[in-house]
Amino acid sequence: MAYQRELIRNFCIIAHIDHGKSTLADRMMELTETVSARDMENQLLDTMEIERERGITIKASAVRMFYTHTDGKRYMLNLIDTPGHVDFTYEVSRALAACEGAILVVDATQGIEAQTLANVYLALDNNLEIVPVVNKIDLPSAQPEFVIKEIEDVIGLPAEDAPLISAKNGTNVAAVLGQVVEMVPAPQGDESAPLQALIFDSIYDNYKGALSYVRVKNGVVRAGMRIRSMATKNEFDVTEVGVFTPNLKPTDSLSAGEVGYIAASIKSVAETKVGDTITDAEKPAKEALPGYKHANPMVFCGIYPADGADYESLRDALAKLVLNDASLTYEAETSLALGFGFRCGFLGLLHMEIIQERLEREFDLDLVTTAPSVIYRVVKTDGTELVIDNPSNLPPATEIQTMEEPMVEAHIIAPSEYVGTIMELCQERRGIFIDMTYLEETRVNLKYNLPLNEIIYDFFDQLKSRSRGYASFDYELKEYRKSDLVRLDFLLNGDMCDALSTIVHKDRAYAKGRAVAEKLQEVIPRQQFEVPIQAAIGTKVIARETVRALRKDVLAKCYGGDISRKKKLLEKQKEGKKRMRQVGTVSVPSDAFMSVLRIN
Amino acid sequence: MAGLYLHIPFCVQKCAYCDFVSFADPEPLQAYLSALIKEIGLTARRFPAVAYDTVFIGGGTPSIVSAQDMAGLLAALRSAFAIAPGAECTIECNPGTVDAQKLQAYLKGGVNRLSLGLQSAEDGLLRAIGRIHDFAQFEESYRLAREAGLQNINVDLMYGLPGQSLGQYLSTIRTVAALGPEHISAYSLILEEGTPLYMRVKAGETTLPDEDEVCDMQDAGRALLAELGYERYEISNYAKPGFACRHNINYWQNGPYLGLGLAAHSAKEIDGWRRWSNHAEMSAYLAALERDELPICEQRRIPHTEEMFECVMLGLRMLKGVERSAFSARFGLDVCTAYPEAVEALFALGWAEATPDALRLTEAGLDMENSALLYFLKD
Repeated sequence: MAYQRELIRNFCIIAHIDHGKSTLADRMMELTETVSARDMENQLLDTMEIERERGITIKASAVRMFYTHTDGKRYMLNLIDTPGHVDFTYEVSRALAACEGAILVVDATQGIEAQTLANVYLALDNNLEIVPVVNKIDLPSAQPEFVIKEIEDVIGLPAEDAPLISAKNGTNVAAVLGQVVEMVPAPQGDESAPLQALIFDSIYDNYKGALSYVRVKNGVVRAGMRIRSMATKNEFDVTEVGVFTPNLKPTDSLSAGEVGYIAASIKSVAETKVGDTITDAEKPAKEALPGYKHANPMVFCGIYPADGADYESLRDALAKLVLNDASLTYEAETSLALGFGFRCGFLGLLHMEIIQERLEREFDLDLVTTAPSVIYRVVKTDGTELVIDNPSNLPPATEIQTMEEPMVEAHIIAPSEYVGTIMELCQERRGIFIDMTYLEETRVNLKYNLPLNEIIYDFFDQLKSRSRGYASFDYELKEYRKSDLVRLDFLLNGDMCDALSTIVHKDRAYAKGRAVAEKLQEVIPRQQFEVPIQAAIGTKVIARETVRALRKDVLAKCYGGDISRKKKLLEKQKEGKKRMRQVGTVSVPSDAFMSVLRIN
Repeated sequence: MAGLYLHIPFCVQKCAYCDFVSFADPEPLQAYLSALIKEIGLTARRFPAVAYDTVFIGGGTPSIVSAQDMAGLLAALRSAFAIAPGAECTIECNPGTVDAQKLQAYLKGGVNRLSLGLQSAEDGLLRAIGRIHDFAQFEESYRLAREAGLQNINVDLMYGLPGQSLGQYLSTIRTVAALGPEHISAYSLILEEGTPLYMRVKAGETTLPDEDEVCDMQDAGRALLAELGYERYEISNYAKPGFACRHNINYWQNGPYLGLGLAAHSAKEIDGWRRWSNHAEMSAYLAALERDELPICEQRRIPHTEEMFECVMLGLRMLKGVERSAFSARFGLDVCTAYPEAVEALFALGWAEATPDALRLTEAGLDMENSALLYFLKD
């Protein structure tokens, strides 16, 4: 029997990192006795180790709770978790599309941040009812009245009735559940109509294959049915449907208005794409639910094993990761400097960092990564068009007619005292000022158009350090724009090092060439011969440094009878030598490739 | 050959560059000497019937110990261990802590070699590295030692000191050589993490000569020492003919030795090649001996291949190199056969050469000793 639709509430939580989303979810699960406090690992919804450490949610997840309201009725509350970062905007939008309402959690000590704002607008676009909540009122620096005013002024939402809560202490959490029941509308839908189920997430399960997390909009789905993904046209036989308790619990069916999972022996999450619509293969719906988009990677980099012998392990690890991450792409590539590795594509910077970290941590790999690149569009003089995500593939300048680079629209929210330094940073990065609005007297929202390739290195770090951590930042891809770009190459003892090549704006090439050459001079150890380092555009050398030859390499001191100390030293050096890459005649430490990314 | 080492981990003040185990606080000195004497007894009972050819009392600053206490220590040593006739017996001294009475006690106790830590003849440099003495005090100690009748004296020098010029270093060598010590050690300063000098350099308060200046000092110093009659027999050691340090040569031949005292290391054939070391914590060291136990904190049996590498690592420090006959006798194969690829690579670089007697590093190879040794380590 399907649950009475008017007693169902589907909602998500919108919050900035650290504003307490996961803690609030935990308290709701405790309060509804979905999980007992004893069983509860902290922040149950975040299942990945990295997520827990960074306090952010990467993959959306979901949980079903039952709550008896003051009207005596027992409501089914489906909480759909959303990723909290700019790289996953599309995934967030699909999770929002699966809901009728959203709880907006704002930190009483911090106020609204850029990502929160972006997600609130996304929620409003999806016609979601917003339930504002002010969290962390237990902190001495809490200023709930300011935050309420900010919500009203900036977003235009009435917030005088917003529950003032402390998710940490559990204060007033029941009031939040009450408002969800009262404010969020029950789902609409027609059980007898052909099946339309929105995939808002997919995860890979070792036993059941790729699972589609769905919100059923119309019709019913049950085990044994043949289903079809409307965008990819794949068909599958449903082996199991169920709900999140939060563990997977099989049920007979999922009906219009309900949230749950579908298992259909699907091999990888790439076959059950977020945003796609699942329908009945025998009695298909006329049209798919709106909003499906293929999530294209925007940032690329080469990933190589630090020790060439680990190539196979790296390949296996990437193959495992894509099972669970449809937006990660990879293909084999070779670099003269780094040997065999992979060109990987990511939704954005955080996504790239997360993948690198997971490879290193979960698969115990030592990696060398090349400078990240965006996708450039090139029109050659003969009229052919190229898409370039690897600087090495850029044709010679003489064959290029025009080049275009991706531009983003960036929102930066920061205390007004940092406006000057942030604007300076944006100007340095070829930003075009669009607009500045005051959110309140002391906080501004800055709008800039920025080239994506200027923010993929260290823009966020710079922003944080220049604003003492107070600025928050959000961006979305806007357009491609013609730009005067060149490839900057680096030569070591006359041999080009492909792993160091980058595409930069012509006006920035000299400064960057000089800075990287200086950095290389620091990080490349002295060799038995002199090593010239050159930065070049085409055949034109624009900067030069020299690593002088090593004259002596000897441990003069003898540590008395302590032989083991010297042995250990030598073993460490030998280990370090194994991690050196050969660029022509020059030995380059693996770290060197990474350290040049961190120049400023 | 077998050696005995005694560690005296006390100094008047710790030098700015020093990362050896030593204390500037003399408070537990008496307790330590009692424990050390106990360790001597326990160790001698554990390893009887070996005659020792060399004894080395190092530190720290052994000359900080009073004449009477040192006499007691030496007597304990001689009664517990069999010291071979004609054994080389060295004590390390710091200028300013030696007097005629102490020197008499050393000689009476069988000491026949003195190692004086000078480092530089420039008072300014001595202050900069936290030495407690000036050059005049060194001269005085040296004179006293000669007057007492010591006929084998080493002087330790350092180059690459903060602010040191090539000229200053060479002038130190000339000044010292004019006094006529039998042996000169010349070490380049190694900046060890955690030392006060390291902090000062990190903080930019002190600058060290750059790599090239240090190399120039080493090259010019080596040439000058040769000119003055000091033959280089190891990377950092020079001696008049017949005065090479036998205790250290035993280390470099990977021979057996017993180390007694705080943090001292030992190596010996006991059912295979074995190394062990004493507690580096004073309290743990004292407590073990309080319980009548040897203060050993870790010991390891060295696998065959590693023992072989040790022989190369240590042997190549000496100009005469690794003796082929000794190596063959120990391992049953020739050193060049044991490391065919490394030997070939070093020959090609001009870093090593083989004679019928030995495998040794050339002058160029000695300069690159560290890189050269990496070829002998398995991938």
